[in-house]
Amino acid sequence: MDTVTRRKFLKLTTGAVAVGAAAPLLSLEDIAQAAIDRPLPANTPILVVVTLYGGNDGLNTVVPYTDPLYYSLRPELAYKPEVVLPLNAELALNPAMKGLKALWDQNKVAIVRGVGYPNPDHSHFSSMAKWQTASPAKNISTGWLGRWVDSQPEDSMLAISLGSVLPPLLAGAKRSGSALPLGGLVIPKGDLALQCQKLSTPVKKDSKLMAAAATSMRNLFSVSSSVQPVLKMPAPVNPDLPTVNGGNAGGDSNLAQQLDVVAKLIAAGSPTKIWSVSLGGFDTHANEANAQASLLGTVSDSLSRFMGQLKSTTRSNDVTIMVYSEFGRRVLGNGSDGTDHGTAGPMFIIGNGVKGGFYGEQPSLKNLYKGDLAVTTDFRDVYATVIEKVLKSPIGPTLGTWSGRVNCMN
Amino acid sequence: MNQQRLETSRLLQRFGFGPRPGEYAQAIKDGVDATRAKVLTVPANDAGAAAVMVPEITDLGKRPAANSKEIVPFSIAMRNQTQQMSLWWLDLMAMSDHGLTERMTWFWHGHWATSIQKLNYAMPMFIQNNTMRANCLGSFKTMSRAMINDAALQFWLDGQESTAKSPNENLGRELMELFVLGVGRYTEDDVKAAARALTGYQVDKSSGVVTFNAKRYDANPVTILGKTQTFNGEALSDFLVARDDNATFISERLWYRFISSNQAMPANFSAKKAFAGRDISAAVKAMANDPAIRDSKNDLVKAPVEWFIAACRALELTPSNLKTPGQLFNYLDKLGQVPFNPPSVGGWPAAEAWLSSATAQYRIAFAAWLIKQSNLRGLKEIPVGSRVVKSADWLGVAEWSPRTQSTLRASLADPAQFALLALCSPEFIVSA
Repeated sequence: MDTVTRRKFLKLTTGAVAVGAAAPLLSLEDIAQAAIDRPLPANTPILVVVTLYGGNDGLNTVVPYTDPLYYSLRPELAYKPEVVLPLNAELALNPAMKGLKALWDQNKVAIVRGVGYPNPDHSHFSSMAKWQTASPAKNISTGWLGRWVDSQPEDSMLAISLGSVLPPLLAGAKRSGSALPLGGLVIPKGDLALQCQKLSTPVKKDSKLMAAAATSMRNLFSVSSSVQPVLKMPAPVNPDLPTVNGGNAGGDSNLAQQLDVVAKLIAAGSPTKIWSVSLGGFDTHANEANAQASLLGTVSDSLSRFMGQLKSTTRSNDVTIMVYSEFGRRVLGNGSDGTDHGTAGPMFIIGNGVKGGFYGEQPSLKNLYKGDLAVTTDFRDVYATVIEKVLKSPIGPTLGTWSGRVNCMN
Repeated sequence: MNQQRLETSRLLQRFGFGPRPGEYAQAIKDGVDATRAKVLTVPANDAGAAAVMVPEITDLGKRPAANSKEIVPFSIAMRNQTQQMSLWWLDLMAMSDHGLTERMTWFWHGHWATSIQKLNYAMPMFIQNNTMRANCLGSFKTMSRAMINDAALQFWLDGQESTAKSPNENLGRELMELFVLGVGRYTEDDVKAAARALTGYQVDKSSGVVTFNAKRYDANPVTILGKTQTFNGEALSDFLVARDDNATFISERLWYRFISSNQAMPANFSAKKAFAGRDISAAVKAMANDPAIRDSKNDLVKAPVEWFIAACRALELTPSNLKTPGQLFNYLDKLGQVPFNPPSVGGWPAAEAWLSSATAQYRIAFAAWLIKQSNLRGLKEIPVGSRVVKSADWLGVAEWSPRTQSTLRASLADPAQFALLALCSPEFIVSA
């Protein structure tokens, strides 16, 4: 992407805030066309995974606003009690998260506190790999949801990631989720289509990579024939809005746009049980306050707008959203008005089927480990709950044996 | 598979950006040893590279105020310089007669992955690119020192924010994790100490000038990997580069990008020993001679830029002449890889990550767009009777599968479609 377009995307992300929940859903024709094939049966649960790349500062997301230590440990970064959005007597949301606060007030938000894994790794890439593979101790190449895809009958529509590069999260051993770029698909027609499909047949002598290259083309035809009609052009860009001072640890920048597409496809009956979207820029080593608030505002506004869009569909009770980042940040600021890489952070589980409230223990600011928060909840507790309660599957193929659960689903 | 064809194909595709029409057949005639020697010997003069016009990249100065008269020409100049710089580099990749220099510069760009997203200005990125080119086959010790003093890298990783009073860990961590040692070969305390050793740098973003401000520098001794002393940036760089883990790490990275991103590097990979003196060209030479280059297990997916440049060379296209640059960068963006714009400090992914249904779709559209702009000389010169089999030579592919052969045969009457299917075939997307 050239920088100009990338900046436009960033502007669009913030711009979407102003549009609010009034964004149009699909036209009737669109829905009719996509639902012809095999719409997702009614009441089938749907999981939407939101990955925040770069390491989101959990302490300034769910703020311990009455803890004096919060103010003494990070004076330059702490939010004053009068600006935060209180959730109870101890914790409050970042001032930019008004949309999420409204959902919290409706009991639709579970906040799991202090989530992480044993022996926290401070590298973006290692830590994100641990979260996405659900294998903190050993490097493996399959993602936890990719392994779930493996355990299901083959269907290229089953798990879809927005954006053209597939995250490890959806990579399985036998098969993987599909990637769906934003902005529509161009599908070959006529004899060329026929020949492309011929080219997409793996042959016996193919290496693993060549077979994958062939298969990617086959999925192209099955994904696009169902999805094509419901995709529309991206919303217009308002060039007057400020840009986000993002960091440098990956992720896409157009969350609202990604969720728009997901909302449309869910409404249309796309036979998809897992959606993956992402937002980057959370690596706030410098000038954190504005950048993080702007990003959290985007998360909060996009999600509440998305929930609003679902209300006008028959599937608003079926969707559960899970939000995570690869780590939280150091408790002490680093003097560049930012924070360095930390450990535990909060996760959000959002949906009509969620029992709103707090889960897991809030990490203490008194007992830090080398300046970092202690991990109080293992992410596999959350994953196991999601697999059982949302995807209605046994956890064995995905996580092996794991006893911890988070009792946050009705 | 024919061993000579496989090895020749790998030498041309991995140590350069693939053959121009006729070059693969000639390499087969020359034999593997002569081809290897040729691929590894950078000539004193490269007429193809010399013909690429160097863009005028200048210091654009401070950003004018948001609603001023000056902001519009400034923004246009910013965009133009970035575009000209990107086209210049793509041209060098596609037009150089000898491929190794640009191939290595490309490798190092992904290694010290810095993005113009945060810099905004072309100038510091241009300086960094030339620094990498100058050092791409030289001493890694020199390169690492040069990168410590590189404005783009310093700014990208918040070096200019890091002071004795409040060191910022970003650069120190990535220096150890991603650039010199590899993850897990240091402790968190080492990261904190390295951050202190790296304090004091200040960056002028628009000119790409780095200065050292002694007042911001932490001159106290720190302990890094068991050694207690006063480090500065260069001393830290030298210290880390001298460690055995540096040879392990750089040979791992070379293995990952040149040999296999799926198979683990064997302990006896010869590039590691050859890198003992931190001589990059010695490691590259060893790698091109290592038995692994002949092992059919070690296939690699061409990253989008590699695929695009290989296509340009086969189609005899000059990137800067394509209509239009905006469309070109749009395609590269859709495939997920734009030079000077890696997704993160970890660089670009590899292998299956490039093989999604989304990239398949854009690859087809991109190939069709390129083919429209080529006279397809290399393909059309092959007699129709032998075109299916011989088109493998045109693209430097070791061997077509029966699947691809039969697909190509069905398109013999339509050279444009033939070319498109060949460029989008698994055998061309993957370097066997």
